[in-house]
Formats: sequence, structure tokens, C-alpha cells
Amino acid sequence: MKKTFIDIDYGFIPKFGQIVCGDVFLSEKIKNENRLVAVLSDGLGSGIRANILANMTATMALNFTINDQPIERSATSIRDTLPVDPQRKIAFASFTIVDTEFDGKTRIIEYGNPQFLVFRKNELLALEHQVLADGEVSITEFQTQKEDRIVLFSDGVSQSGIGRKDMPFGWETDQMGGVISQIIEKNPGISAYELRKRIISQSVLNDIGKPSDDITCAVLYFRNPRKLLVCTGPPFSKSKDEEMAATIREFEGRTVLCGGTTAVIVAREWGEQIEVDMKNFTSDIPPISYINGVDLVTEGILTLCKAAELLKHGNYEDAARHDPARLVIEEFLSHDHIEFLVGTKINEAHQDPSLPVELEIRRNVIKKIAYLLEKKYLKEASLKYI
Amino acid sequence: MKKHKVVVCTGTLCHVLGGSELPSLGQRLPEEWRGLVDIKGSPCMGYCKDSEMHPPFVEIDGEVMQEASVSKVLEYLEKRIGHGTK
Repeated sequence: MKKTFIDIDYGFIPKFGQIVCGDVFLSEKIKNENRLVAVLSDGLGSGIRANILANMTATMALNFTINDQPIERSATSIRDTLPVDPQRKIAFASFTIVDTEFDGKTRIIEYGNPQFLVFRKNELLALEHQVLADGEVSITEFQTQKEDRIVLFSDGVSQSGIGRKDMPFGWETDQMGGVISQIIEKNPGISAYELRKRIISQSVLNDIGKPSDDITCAVLYFRNPRKLLVCTGPPFSKSKDEEMAATIREFEGRTVLCGGTTAVIVAREWGEQIEVDMKNFTSDIPPISYINGVDLVTEGILTLCKAAELLKHGNYEDAARHDPARLVIEEFLSHDHIEFLVGTKINEAHQDPSLPVELEIRRNVIKKIAYLLEKKYLKEASLKYI
Repeated sequence: MKKHKVVVCTGTLCHVLGGSELPSLGQRLPEEWRGLVDIKGSPCMGYCKDSEMHPPFVEIDGEVMQEASVSKVLEYLEKRIGHGTK
């Protein structure tokens, strides 16, 4: 049996008028235990104070869980550590912890957040949960299967649209479950990234464009790993050109080419034409091209450098829809395992010291991207040099 | 009448050495020339491998123009097409 991959993504939009979100989502894959722990925390109020409360809570909850501390003890420690709000005289941040092993054994601990949703394909599961002694912490234990999705969200999502005539109590969980189930029914393979984006934009829509609370949504999607091949740079020796072109042709999954010369080599080896997209372009990086049989063709180093920067800061959605760097990132984020095939031939034309410093060494940029994808976006990345 | 064939290099080096405006050539072309000129792009035409040549490159009817810019290409086309518009 193929091993399960957990595709995970989250996004947030702060309350209208705030620049910082008061909800925090943290996750970590523990590679040698085949385990993933994720925490969504919602701090009291909004803005910086809420963000600090949520950040402290999420960090503590994540570390306590990774170290297998009993939940009662974690909850007490968190409660005792949080700073007290001077006005309301309480310290509060709700949290949901997902602790899942790759074989499917999953435990979800919830305190104060709206009830998470679990979908098996497009069907909403009704799971039993036990409530701990103090009546506030609930624990749900179940076995996940492939094609299951866990949807976590803050009350900004479930209460979006509250007070509207057509939805006086906001976007209630039942209604939300129905909408998500329909989305999954229409797009059975929808990625965590796409699904959470749809949920967030619907919440913002419910609030008529002005979120009345911080909106955060995270999706964990259990599935067969989706593979992406990113091929960049000409092979060190010309005799390997054929091998590179064959690797791309035989790859099971989507393929991306980053590099002008690389594109020329592949097109030559395959006997295909290259068409450059002269309609959509941005001024800072060269446009994309089309080769029959490749899913995306972009320029090399400038596009990759920009993609690395956008990945680092997480602001890729600010880039134009047709921005080549954003297109590359969207490919990265909708896949689970990203294989880089890096050509090691040095482009003599790029070695002139008078050229802009942006012309970094390809291998370094790829290493940086692979690191970011693994650490920040919880993907699996592998590098192969040719 | 045969169309004039223009190929713009959109490679890395041409882009950083002043060619970032070149992809917009099609939009900057005067209306009356649109039927006379065929503009295409190339991911890299390979001229940059020759250290004697100066990017950005544009090929017009098979001839290479070095240190090309939108205005230089338009000027050249004006001569070729033969009836000045500006």
C-alpha cells in the first residue's frame, strides 16, 4: 500500500481594521515518529494582544503534545502562563490540537474553539467525543482513512455573517458542513490549499468584505502523495540532455521547467515547438512559455529567486494572477512531494561580475526553496543533480 | 505581402540587461502595422553565449539586433515598412 501523505495548509484574514491576526496556527511533522501535530489557537480579543496570547498558547500546546505531556497538565500550564487582560481580568486563548500518526491514529483535543469538521470523501462524519472532568476540554479519537479531511477554524469563520437577516447566527456549522461537502463533491481531489481558500473567502463574503473577527481556517487532507517534478538548468554534460528529457516525459505527475536553455533543450529533444506567452507578463521577471507535454515552463533563476522570496514571506497571493513566480508556487503548494532535477552546467553568460547580484547560483536557490517547502509548508522535497 | 518576423528574446540575461520592456513590443506597435509584423518570443536564443555580442537581442527577419529596445525595434521597422508614421 502506498503511504499516506498529509496535505496541510492554513490561511487567515485579520478582523477588519487590524493588521495582525489574533489566531495562530502552528504545525510540525515529527519525521522519525511518523507523526504530525498541529495547533490552532484563538486569542481573546483581536490585534497584537490576541496574537501574543494565541502564539504563546499554540507554541506551548504544540511542544507539550510533541513531548506527550498529559492534556490536563498542559492545560493548567497554559492557563497559568498567559498574561491576564487588565480590562476583563481573564487570560484566555482557545485551542484545538490535532495529533495524528501517518497510519491514521488521530486524537483531537479541543478547548473553546468551534467544533472541527471531519469529512470522509464528501460525507461529514459524526464523531463521538469524551469530555474531560472540567467540562471544557473535549477529546476525540478516531482512525483516519485516505481521502479524509479535517477542517479546523476559528469562530471568525463559524460566526461570519452573524446578525445578517438571512443568517442571524452566522455561518452555522451544519450549514458550513453542507457547503464544504458540496465543494468536495464537485472537486473530489481539491487540495488543502484550495479548500481553505474557498472557506476563507466564503467567510469574508458572509461578513460582506469586512471581517467582524479574525478568520482562520486550516485543512488537513489525507491522501496518496502527489508528485511534482521541477526541472531547472541544463545538464552538466550535453550527453545527459536526452536523459533529462526522458525523465520529464516518463514522470508520473505534473512537470515544471524553469529555465530558458532548459526549455530549449527539452523542446529540441522532443521535437516540439516553444511558444512564449507574449500577452501576460510582469515587468520584473520574463514571461512563461508553452511546450506540448510540460505543464508549466518559466524562465529560470529570476523566477526561482522571486518564488523563494514570496515563499519565505508567504505573500505570494499579493502577486498578480499570471505572475510566473506565483504560478510556480501554486504548483509547489498543490503537490506533496516535489522532486527537483537540477542541471549543474554553469551558464558562462551569467558569470560577469558586473551583472546584478540577483543572478544567484541555481543550486543555492533550489536548496533554499526545498528548505522552505519542507520547513514552512510541510512538503517533502528531494534534490537530484544532473 | 509577407509579414516582417520579429523574435524577442525573453531569456534571463536579456531581461536583466535592459530587455524587460521588450515583451510589451506587441502592445506598443502602431495600429496600422499590426497586420504587417508578426511578433514572437523565444525563451533564449543563445546569442548570450558569445561574449562579443551585447544583449538584449531581437531578431528581425533573421537578422540579429544587439542592445535592442522597444524604440530601436520600432525605428528599424519603420525603415523596413517604408512609410513613416511618426
